[in-house]
Amino acid sequence: MANNQQAEGQRGARWRKSARGRKSARARRRTISFYLFIAPWLLGFVLLSVVPLCIGFFTSLTNYDGFDPADSKFVGLDNYTRAFSDDRMFLSLSRTLLWAAINTPLWLVVTFCMALVLNQKGIKGRGFLRTLYYVPSIVPIVGVVWIWKIILDNNFGLLNAIISIFRPGTAIPFMSQYALQSLSVIALWTGLGSGMVIFLAGLQDIPEELIEAAQIDGANALQLFRHVTLPIMTPIIFFQLVLGLISAFQQLVLPMLLAPGQEAGGWNPPRGSYLYMIHAYRQLFIYQRYGYSTALLWLLFIVIMALTLMVFRTARYWVFYEVEIEGGGQP
Amino acid sequence: MTARTHTSPVAATTGRLLRRLVAYGSLALFGLLVAVPLVYFLVTSFKPMEEYLTYPPRFFPTRWRPENYEAAVTMFPYFRYAGHSLFLGLSNTILTVATSAMAGFAFARINVRARDKLFTIIIAMLIVPGIVVQIPQFIIFARLKLTGTWWPWILWGLAASPFFVFMFRQFFAGFPRELEDAAEIDGCGPFRTFWAVFIPNAKPVIATAFILNFAGVWGDYVNPFLFLKDANTTLAVKLQIGYLSPHGELLTTIVLAGAMLYVLPLVIAFFLGQRHILEGVVTSGLKG
Repeated sequence: MANNQQAEGQRGARWRKSARGRKSARARRRTISFYLFIAPWLLGFVLLSVVPLCIGFFTSLTNYDGFDPADSKFVGLDNYTRAFSDDRMFLSLSRTLLWAAINTPLWLVVTFCMALVLNQKGIKGRGFLRTLYYVPSIVPIVGVVWIWKIILDNNFGLLNAIISIFRPGTAIPFMSQYALQSLSVIALWTGLGSGMVIFLAGLQDIPEELIEAAQIDGANALQLFRHVTLPIMTPIIFFQLVLGLISAFQQLVLPMLLAPGQEAGGWNPPRGSYLYMIHAYRQLFIYQRYGYSTALLWLLFIVIMALTLMVFRTARYWVFYEVEIEGGGQP
Repeated sequence: MTARTHTSPVAATTGRLLRRLVAYGSLALFGLLVAVPLVYFLVTSFKPMEEYLTYPPRFFPTRWRPENYEAAVTMFPYFRYAGHSLFLGLSNTILTVATSAMAGFAFARINVRARDKLFTIIIAMLIVPGIVVQIPQFIIFARLKLTGTWWPWILWGLAASPFFVFMFRQFFAGFPRELEDAAEIDGCGPFRTFWAVFIPNAKPVIATAFILNFAGVWGDYVNPFLFLKDANTTLAVKLQIGYLSPHGELLTTIVLAGAMLYVLPLVIAFFLGQRHILEGVVTSGLKG
C-alpha cells in the first residue's frame, strides 16, 4: 500500500516536472519567436540609429573632412566651443526660434479652428471638405514649393497681380524680402489637413452625454467650449504642440527648395529663412567640415530635447488627463 | 437654456441662421485657400512660357498649350526617373510594411519579459529628432561606398519604421484572443498565426501603411538629393534641374507640367483610399 502510494507520488512528481519542462520549453520558443519577429527592426535600430549616433558624436570631436579618417585629428570639444563664436550660427538659431514661435502656434490655432467649425452639428459635406482640406498634405513638397513659387514670384506671381489691382505696379519680392513669412504660409498650407484631421477626430470622440449634460446645466456655446471641449482636447493639443515644435526645429527642405539657384543645391537661402539646419548642413556639404557639422547637430538635438522637456513640464498646469478618453493620453 | 426661453423664436432662428452662415462662410474661405493654389498650378501648367512671363499675369491662359506636357516628358528621360522613384518607393515600402507588421505583431501578441522596455524604444524613436542620424548615416554610407546607390533605401526598409510598428501594434492588439487560441489548437506556430490569421485580417492597415510610406518616399527630396547622383536620382530632384532652355533659363511652365504629372498619381491614390488613409493618419497620430 505504502509502496503504491510512493510510486503514485513519484509518478506525480515526474508528471509535474515534465509539465514544467514543457512550459519552459514553450516559453523559450515564445521568446525565440518574439526576437525573430522584431529582429529586422532591432538590427536596424542598432545599425542605423545607435551606431550612427555614436559615430556622429565621435565625428563631432574630430576635424574629419570626409576623405581619410586616418588623417583626422581628435580635437576634443573644439567644434562645440567654436559654435559659440559663430555669428552665422546665432543668426540661424534666432531665425529658427522665430520660425518655431510663429509657425507652431499659427498651425495649432488655425487647424483647431477649422476642426471646430467642421465639427458643428448639421454641417453638410463634412466628408468632402475633410478630403479637400487634406489634399495639400498629400502633395509632395517639391510640388508644393512650385505651387507657391508661381504665387509668390515678385514679377509674375499671382499674389502681386492681385495686389496690383489696388496698387498698380506692385512687385513685392516675397520669397527674398519676406522669406520667413512666405515659408510660414507654405508650411501652414501643407500642414492644414494633417493637423485638422487629428483635431476633428478628437472632437468627434467627445462623448455626446457630456455635451448634453453641460447644456442641461445651462452652459452657453462659449462656456461649453471653455469648460468642456477645450479641457478634453488639451492632451491632443499638447501632443500636436510637441510634434509641431520638434518638426519646426528640423525644418530643412522648405528653405532649401525656396532658395534661389537650385542647381547649386539651394544652400543659399535669403537671410530671412537661413534656418539652423541649413547652416549645419552647409558646413558639411559645402565646406566638408564634418566635425563642425555634427557638433552643430548635436547642439540642436540638445536644444530640442531641452525644449521638449520644458513643454512636458508645463503639461501638468494645462493638460487634463483626468478626462482620459480613448485616443488621448500621454505620448 | 434659460436665456433661450426669453428670446423670441424669430431671434433664435436668425441667430442660428447667422451662425450657420459664418460656419459655411469660413469653410468656403478655407476651401478657396486650399483649392485656388491647386487650380492655379493646373492652369499655369498649360500656359505658353511667354504668357507666364507677362506682367501682370492672368489667372487662366488665353491660349492653352498641352505641348508643355509633351516637352515635360521628353526634355529629359522623364519616365526613367519616374521609374527610379517608383522602384525606390515600392522596394522600400514593401520591406518597411513587412518588417513593421512583423515587429508590430510581436509587440502586440507575444508576451515576453523585455517587451515593454523594447517598446519604449519605439515610442522614443517617434519623438527623438531624426536629424542627429541623417548626417552620420551619410558619413557611414559614404565610407561603405553606398552613396550614389539605391542600397540605403533597401536598408531603411529592412529596418522597419517605428511609426508603422506602432500603428500595426495598435491594430493587432485589438484582435480577439480566441482567434489566436483557435490557430494554436489547429497546430499553428506564431509564424503561421501571423501569416494566415493576422495578415489577412489587416488589409486596411497594410493599405494605409503602404500608401503613406510610398507617398513619403515618392515625395522625399532631401534623401535622394543627398544620397544619389544625377544618373540614378528620383523625379523629385530631377524636376528641380531638368528643365532649362538652351540659354540656361528655367522653363517654369514646363516644370509645372512635369510637377503635375509627378503629383497627380499620389493625389489619385489618395482619393481612392482616402477613408482608410485618414483613419490611419488619425490612429497613428492620436494614439501616440
